[in-house]
Amino acid sequence: MKKTKFSAFLSTAIVCYIFWLLITGQIASIFTGGASMQVLLAGAVVSVITALFSARFFIHSKAFWLFNPLRFIIWVFYCLIIFMWELTKANIDVALRAFGFKKINPGIVKIETELKSEYAQSMLANSITLTPGTITMDIAEGNGKTYYYIHWIDASTDHIDEAGDNIKGTMEKWIRRIWE
Amino acid sequence: MIYAIYVLIGLSVLFALAGVVGMLRFPDSFCRMQSSTNISTFGVLGVILGGVLWSIFVFDTPDWAMAVKLLVMGVFYIITSPIAGHAIAKAAYKKGVRPEKEMVCDKYGEDLENAD
Repeated sequence: MKKTKFSAFLSTAIVCYIFWLLITGQIASIFTGGASMQVLLAGAVVSVITALFSARFFIHSKAFWLFNPLRFIIWVFYCLIIFMWELTKANIDVALRAFGFKKINPGIVKIETELKSEYAQSMLANSITLTPGTITMDIAEGNGKTYYYIHWIDASTDHIDEAGDNIKGTMEKWIRRIWE
Repeated sequence: MIYAIYVLIGLSVLFALAGVVGMLRFPDSFCRMQSSTNISTFGVLGVILGGVLWSIFVFDTPDWAMAVKLLVMGVFYIITSPIAGHAIAKAAYKKGVRPEKEMVCDKYGEDLENAD
């Protein structure tokens, strides 16, 4: 079993504590006054214990990567603007296909990605799965490159690069800015 | 503001309806999963966003705690649902589920056969 590094433990504990503040509603009462000291302390204890167990699964490489404000801002921008735009386009497209205004044309294509970091690869795979019309089925490595197999509801091409451009859109570029 | 909330929730109900219609109409299990993603993205996000706006603007005193909780619910939903979808699709394919209608191309099957 891998040993837990202290930096990994610390960043996991901080993230856990932020989520504790969010779900107990304390983050609002800190600003308005009247945050309960008991809840804050209990949260600190619970997040330290959780981090002890889960840090080695949660952090695999650089522990404080997303704590950099610039990367965090790009990450939020990606989630709220870039990804939401892709999501809107794909949602309308699949809704039209569901009601029968467009034909479906399903197929499984293989696309290539240039992302190296494993966080970036899983983020791209999850973004692709979350957009309606495309589901990442498997990830494979070969010849020093990484490939995704994607079930696509409108497989207009089975060429590896054209399909990749169609499916990934602008998402890959922004994910590279966050993680690399 | 309350009309904006109605529009948001109405849109999300519309997309959820599209997802259900797609799940019934599409020919095979993979396409049906594509349609169910419709429900799990806009169908959920619209309702959650409507609830957030409702708890901030419609209540007599803004309930920030509830708004933040709803947002966290949305975030967890967005994190977990693609993982489940990916796992189900892969498991179905490996178990031998194949579409009745021929697919345009099936690179995954080809590569699996070459690997064996």
